[in-house]
Amino acid sequence: MPQTLQRFTSGIEGLDQIMGGGFVADSTYIIHGHPGSGKTILGNQIAFHRASQGDTVLYVTLLAESHERLFAFLSTLNFFDPPRLGQRINYVSAFSIMDNEGLDGVIRLLRREIPRQGATLLVLDGLLNAREKAASAFDMKKFIAELQSNAVFTNCTALLLTSARFEESSPEYTMVDGIIELREEELGVRSIRRLRVRKSRGSSALSGLHQYEIRQAGLVTYPRLESVSGATYPADDPTSERTSSGIAEVDRLLGGGLPSGSTTLLIGPSGVGKTSWGLHYLTPDSPEPALHFGFYESPQRLQLKASALGRDLSGLRAQGSLWIEWRSPVERLVDAVAIDLLAIVEKRGIKRLFLDGLQALENSITTPRRFGAFLSVLFNELRARGVTTLATLEMGDLFDTTPHLSSPDTLSIADNIVLMRLVERDGRIHRVFSVVKVRDSAFDPVLHDFEITDHGIRIYNRLLGRAFTPSFSVPNDDPV
Amino acid sequence: MTTILVVDDEFLISDLLANALEDQGYRVTQAYHGRKALEVLAQETPALVVTDFMMPLMNGLELARAIRGNAHWQHLPIILLSGAQGSIAREHPSLFNEVFDKPFPVRQLLARIQDLAGPPDDPPP
Repeated sequence: MPQTLQRFTSGIEGLDQIMGGGFVADSTYIIHGHPGSGKTILGNQIAFHRASQGDTVLYVTLLAESHERLFAFLSTLNFFDPPRLGQRINYVSAFSIMDNEGLDGVIRLLRREIPRQGATLLVLDGLLNAREKAASAFDMKKFIAELQSNAVFTNCTALLLTSARFEESSPEYTMVDGIIELREEELGVRSIRRLRVRKSRGSSALSGLHQYEIRQAGLVTYPRLESVSGATYPADDPTSERTSSGIAEVDRLLGGGLPSGSTTLLIGPSGVGKTSWGLHYLTPDSPEPALHFGFYESPQRLQLKASALGRDLSGLRAQGSLWIEWRSPVERLVDAVAIDLLAIVEKRGIKRLFLDGLQALENSITTPRRFGAFLSVLFNELRARGVTTLATLEMGDLFDTTPHLSSPDTLSIADNIVLMRLVERDGRIHRVFSVVKVRDSAFDPVLHDFEITDHGIRIYNRLLGRAFTPSFSVPNDDPV
Repeated sequence: MTTILVVDDEFLISDLLANALEDQGYRVTQAYHGRKALEVLAQETPALVVTDFMMPLMNGLELARAIRGNAHWQHLPIILLSGAQGSIAREHPSLFNEVFDKPFPVRQLLARIQDLAGPPDDPPP
């Protein structure tokens, strides 16, 4: 029967999930990254977390930098807890010992110091200096082997921090149990930080690159959404139930409303009325918990817009059935947004979601052609949580007839599509829409026109049988 | 010659302090952890010990206890240079004659060393 390896948590949001449940106890890991990538923060953050859990941590530096400078820098981060210094966490410098006695001296020091302090976690900062001190690759191999055997015999997990680049054939790479790589990439004017588990012996880590940020709380990692898909929720269970779009006539055209638990793309140019449609969706008669998650309109602007449509948001917010979440549309990390959104959905028990401005997410995608896969997984996760989602996607041009998407499969992953357009005829602009697709359901594909009034959206059927020609004029029919 | 023993695992701080003391005319010996300091003390008794707190093998608190527990050194002046552990050290006032929190004002430290160890034999002109 397979054994389960004992693990410990890092206390770093997202990292334990990426590591397959945390670090394997009594193992040796290398944390590799260029200067400024955050490896020292990561090492210290784990150290303080373990100390908060009652472990004793030995932090050994092979660097010339003083501990006071390190503490001054760490004091700007939330996890730094000075009362633990000298108690649960001890920082010692082995630089002089390495300088005078070589790597053997460092090993002798660790052999005595780890049991003396009862340390269960060793962080060794500055492995690059050890490599430079080693007379040969064999010396380095011996040093790593001794660190590793020390970890096993003293039940002390070792994290070795280094900025050294090393090949897969190097002693460091081949001998340690795990390697975490931190990297920073420049994309245009943006810098993106990504983390990768290059090696994880005896454990299944989430493969590929995962974004992370350095914040006041320390490192925050965001497991790539595609890599965690289906990990916490089973596949969705389709039902024949319907969820009102908030506009009775649109429900009729959809064959009875939006299929519950489905995702619908509302595609149209800027100003056509997508957000106004969404506000109707958020303010139906049913009291299902609803969420507006948007990037372009602040809650205050949204409130004004809703009032202009005769929709009451404040009442629903006051009674706790509607939440409005607004996020900046620039410099976003898409996985962070997805984690944020799914957490709110779970916390509030959201069943009705209006996701306003998918293009903000698309613009934040830093890997070409990833958007389709990302959106597909996000929609699956929402379906699996029983959420009926209405999402807006903007066309690039006011009078375009097709959206410009970085991933051509974006349209195929939505269950339902409603296409909205602006049409210029007879000296005025007309708003028109049609249902393009409703998955596994009949629907009415007839093109309708609509108006946005101070009593909400009014749907008309004034276009049936008429062609859009320059001579076309809109009659003053009553709403259907 | 008046000798000061500086005990610190961080060579940058140890060297800086040693240089400052030598400039004042003191003789300085250095050790980079408490155990090494006890070995030095066994060879010669300095006029004063300046020690860091967090060090490998024997920390500053353990070193001070060992010094106070030895009949030959029990009255030896000890100054602790502490990071965030000043409060721990101050819980043991009998162990230390003075506690300076890092970063410490060098002039004040040198003045206090002179108070406790006496003036150097060969002060600068």
